[in-house]
Amino acid sequence: MFIARSEYDRGINTFSPEGRLFQVEYSLEAIKLGSTAIGVATSHGVLLGVEKRVTSPLLVSSSIEKIVEIDRHIGCAMSGLQADARSMIEHARVESQNHAFNFNERLRVESCTQAICDLALRFGEGAQGEESIMSRPFGVALLIAGWDEDNGPQLYHAEPSGTFYRYDAKAIGSGSEGAQAELQSEYHRSLTLEEAETLVLKTLKQVMEEKLDSKNVQLASVTKEKGFQIYGDEQMATVVARLEGD
Amino acid sequence: MASIMNAGGLPSDQPGYSFSNASAPSESSGPRQHAFNPYTDNGGSTLGVTGADFAILAGDTRSTSGYNINTRYAPKLFRIGDDGDSSSRIVLSVVGFAADGNALKERLDAIVKMYKYQHGKPMSVKACAQRLSTILYQKRFFPYYVHAILGGLDDDGKGALYSYDPVGSYEREQCRAAGAAASLIMPFLDNQVNYKNQYIPASGTGHELQPRAIESLPKEDVIGLVKDAFTSATERHIEVGDGLQMLIITKDGIEEIYTPLKRD
Repeated sequence: MFIARSEYDRGINTFSPEGRLFQVEYSLEAIKLGSTAIGVATSHGVLLGVEKRVTSPLLVSSSIEKIVEIDRHIGCAMSGLQADARSMIEHARVESQNHAFNFNERLRVESCTQAICDLALRFGEGAQGEESIMSRPFGVALLIAGWDEDNGPQLYHAEPSGTFYRYDAKAIGSGSEGAQAELQSEYHRSLTLEEAETLVLKTLKQVMEEKLDSKNVQLASVTKEKGFQIYGDEQMATVVARLEGD
Repeated sequence: MASIMNAGGLPSDQPGYSFSNASAPSESSGPRQHAFNPYTDNGGSTLGVTGADFAILAGDTRSTSGYNINTRYAPKLFRIGDDGDSSSRIVLSVVGFAADGNALKERLDAIVKMYKYQHGKPMSVKACAQRLSTILYQKRFFPYYVHAILGGLDDDGKGALYSYDPVGSYEREQCRAAGAAASLIMPFLDNQVNYKNQYIPASGTGHELQPRAIESLPKEDVIGLVKDAFTSATERHIEVGDGLQMLIITKDGIEEIYTPLKRD
């Protein structure tokens, strides 16, 4: 299968005769190796949840950072090559602060997602006048959660190909297929934030190889009132305890 | 503003072209001095007043250079972000150096149009006000030589008015006059719009006297005040006259009214 591709998967920006960009397609494969991340949008706010792969008992699990803040009203979960996400998130943060400086208002979640995706195809040689920053496509997918004045709670999925879509609920990473099917059957529009917590954890539990506990998962929420908030150890413990109680 | 342009205060007898030489050089006057005069004062005045559900911006249409009149119709009021479907609800007025005013208008207009494409919604006046401030401050050391006033409707549908100095300090206000006759018009507005120095008769003596409460004026009354302000300014200031352009912003759109002023 790979033999047929060999001539066209080296040039980063070279189309194959069938019209495909193999390097971009391979980058999507890199995400399927990543840990599972889930986002669920409700009318009360958006919930993000990730699995942390604690590979050694000596690893300090709090140092695994897979959910980060972009601005007070936008947060993001990642799956894939985490180092690649750093430059995307840095760009999004700068964009968000610039918008607040210039316009005295919060950047919309969709505009923030678009700003991140604008980076996605800036790899390879770089077009005239445009500095390329990467030699290859990003190897990471993002779930961008946010709340804004115009569209309320929103969840976006951004891929290395530079396309993005808005979702009610979305799973990415190694367990995404199973998780997405679970979300599809369980999601409904009247979900509360608390129900979303349970749904995310329940779904993660099904697709995780390790046994789920409060140390190897991380939740975060974006609400109108409190903005982006990452769950602390105590909060995680209560939510996980509630899941086990059911 | 004029006092910075020519030290005498009065308009100079030469046209204030940027390439004009202040004094003819002579052999005996020692080393020859060269000067770069990038600015001209084109005179004129603007003003803005807001009400409960409208904002009015007005400006005379005369453009001057010293004692000369360049044209009797050079508008100082511009619709911002207007792409022909009359969806624009923001008006910018600029007075001072006309070339800078035009350049500023073009830049803000382009930014507001790009914003609509990038963010999928028209820019709010609040956002536009902040952006105009950053544009002006970015040229802190070679400023746009203008006094800008931005008008529109805020998110609650109330009239919004923002006034600026040439380097971007701004403030939201009820009314503001700018330009050559600002010092003539502003006290009139203070008294007639914000009821300054007006007291309720027989409400007390000395400091006990109750000031007249501010109320938001109806549109027709404000149009009357604006016309009075400009006819009076035309009488007393040589750089003001020819025509009065008014743009009235309401939820239904922007209405334009032109009335002639004295041409002397």
